[in-house]
Amino acid sequence: MFNRNALMFGYSKSTRFLAENLHKELGNLLIVVDNDQDYQLAKKAGYYVKLLDITDDEVLEGLEVHEDDYLICVMKDHYLNVFLTLSLHSLFPQSMIIALSDSYHVTQKLKMAGASRIIDLYQVSANRIHNILTKPVATKLIERLFSPEEDFSFKEMVVPPNSPLDGMRVEDFDFSSHGVILVGMIDKRLSNQFIFITSGLENHFDSGDTLVCIGYNKDLEAFEAYMKKGA
Amino acid sequence: MLKKWLLRFAFFLHGSARYKEIKQLAKNFLQNSDYEYKKYFDIFMISLIVLSIATLVYEVKNPVPDWVDFFDIYLVTTIFLLEYVARVWVHNDWHKRVIKEFGEAQFLGRRFSLWKPTKEIFKGKLHYLLTPTAIIDLLAILPAYRPLRVLRIFVLFRVFKLLRYTKSINQFLGVLASKKFELYTLLFLLIFITVTAGIAIYVFEQNHNDNIETIFDALYWALITISTVGYGDIAPITPEGRVVSMLIIVSGIAMISFVTSVIVSSFSEKLDELKENRIIEEVNKKEEFMIICGYGQMTRMFLKYYAHEYDKRYIVIENNKERVEEALKEGYRAIHEDASRHDVIKRFNLQYSNVTLLALTGDDIANIYITLNAKSLSRKIRVIARAKTEKIIKKYQLAGADSIVRPSTIADRMLFTAITQPVMYKAIYAILTGKNMALLDEISVDDAPMMIGKKIEELNFRKHKLLCIGLQGAGEEGVFVFNPPSGLHLQEGDILLVMGRKVSIDHFREIYQKESYV
Repeated sequence: MFNRNALMFGYSKSTRFLAENLHKELGNLLIVVDNDQDYQLAKKAGYYVKLLDITDDEVLEGLEVHEDDYLICVMKDHYLNVFLTLSLHSLFPQSMIIALSDSYHVTQKLKMAGASRIIDLYQVSANRIHNILTKPVATKLIERLFSPEEDFSFKEMVVPPNSPLDGMRVEDFDFSSHGVILVGMIDKRLSNQFIFITSGLENHFDSGDTLVCIGYNKDLEAFEAYMKKGA
Repeated sequence: MLKKWLLRFAFFLHGSARYKEIKQLAKNFLQNSDYEYKKYFDIFMISLIVLSIATLVYEVKNPVPDWVDFFDIYLVTTIFLLEYVARVWVHNDWHKRVIKEFGEAQFLGRRFSLWKPTKEIFKGKLHYLLTPTAIIDLLAILPAYRPLRVLRIFVLFRVFKLLRYTKSINQFLGVLASKKFELYTLLFLLIFITVTAGIAIYVFEQNHNDNIETIFDALYWALITISTVGYGDIAPITPEGRVVSMLIIVSGIAMISFVTSVIVSSFSEKLDELKENRIIEEVNKKEEFMIICGYGQMTRMFLKYYAHEYDKRYIVIENNKERVEEALKEGYRAIHEDASRHDVIKRFNLQYSNVTLLALTGDDIANIYITLNAKSLSRKIRVIARAKTEKIIKKYQLAGADSIVRPSTIADRMLFTAITQPVMYKAIYAILTGKNMALLDEISVDDAPMMIGKKIEELNFRKHKLLCIGLQGAGEEGVFVFNPPSGLHLQEGDILLVMGRKVSIDHFREIYQKESYV
């Protein structure tokens, strides 16, 4: 569970999975649609939904958007999706805008419109096919990491103050004894950039650093609890 | 007694792996255009033909040394003879037909006759011997018979033999054959005009022109004139003859234009087909290739990022002509065909190559049909299919698809991760696309046998700036071990899953490959 709001613009059968998971994770998800059909569909599914003219900036301004809210653009019409991204970027420049694209050209336009993250439907699939062909074992692992049914995943954790890790050198800590693998981290003191462990990291762990680990869920949870010891 | 002996011989051939191997090899060299070494055989034969023709031309005015004669008469001819015999041999299988007949006789309880299968096989071989290419092969052997000097001219048949080995000439003849009706009509018209004009000039000029004495002279003049060659050795001198000349010249120009336009139009009609055949032939020569069905958004994206990695080892099949043209314009290897058709997929070298088929059309029904079509031709084909909806995935599995990719599911999961765990999203995105420091790669223990028997800790991944994520056990039933314990011993067939910079992985691989030679 994390403490940020999300506003999802557009609702359809293809984005149902996303809405379901966000709702489960956040509880405070607002869906904004521009037609009655989608409105009824979202309402029936039990979401908090608003029917608005999303091409009108005044209407959009009326939405209570905070700086750290997520704005998710998944409109079916990609013209509208690009237009909406542009409107949201001009109205709420501090917010993170995540958009869904279905072609290379739309991705380029969304980038120019100011989307912070763009998920290209076909690019991720193309990567998947290439990985199936060239790295079948790695692909299976990635599939497991993504599948919500699996007991195996990635997890990002923040090092709390007075944690057993606080002040330790990265290479001195044995993660494998906890059944997890440290993939990389954000060292708050150095920068906000994510650094992979394989880049030859020689940092110290400090409170506030964000670690990304992989492992079985129970091991990840146990490790997170271990980090909080003494905190 | 003889029957028994021949039957036993047929069974012996049937059971002999060596015989089968040799015959298959001969078939590959002589008939299988997908066989990678056939081109060397063809080049060798073309060289022999060229040398033989060169000798014929050279010896018209110059004496040739004995060894050249020996080479031409004995060596070249012997090779041609062996090739001729081999072609007759591989044309059909006598022992298979005999065994089939024997099986049927046993099953029906009738008397086994050796004559029937032998006759059928003989008829088959005779039929082959009477084909134009086999006759040319035979005529190309004849010049070796020196007592009849006239047979030397048969060396020219060796030129025709080139047809066997050069596809472009065959393709040209194939294009002409497709316009047989038009060309025959024009030929008939040519004969009609030539004969009519020949008779007319004979009637008008025979008594006045010294150069036209016989009807043959007249016909010769007519042909030379209508073809617009006009040697000038025979020319009309009467006004009537000149009128005939004018008419024949005009009709000659018209005829040439007709013939040219017929040939050009047939070429432009067949050009796409010829190009597509060339693409299929090229891909069929690869040990491993990919057939991509459909040129939609997903294929475009896949080729945009990965076409360079597959080089010429892929082909796109699309049934929409405009999309094929778009693909060709982008520089991709595409053909205009329907991948759900049995005969289209059958044109690929499914027997000898490792074929992966990507069913990426936007229609689930079409993709399932394509999957079934491919799997019905060969279970060996690996099929990766794109599914539009979650519900249809089971149907793909039933159809035999080896992997199923559903774009919206993958994108949704990525989007969800980007929102809920943004730092991790960056890491996963980098891993998925193999960027920066995060290439997730597989190292097969078989490629570096020195790893066999070593403990995980002995490989010292940390020193090489690598992360050992897991280990896939050998074989299809092999278990995947995440974060393998340091004391685990590596075995033959194991695959290590490591993460790191590409340069670190390549270096690590290199070290263990080098060690394996020590």
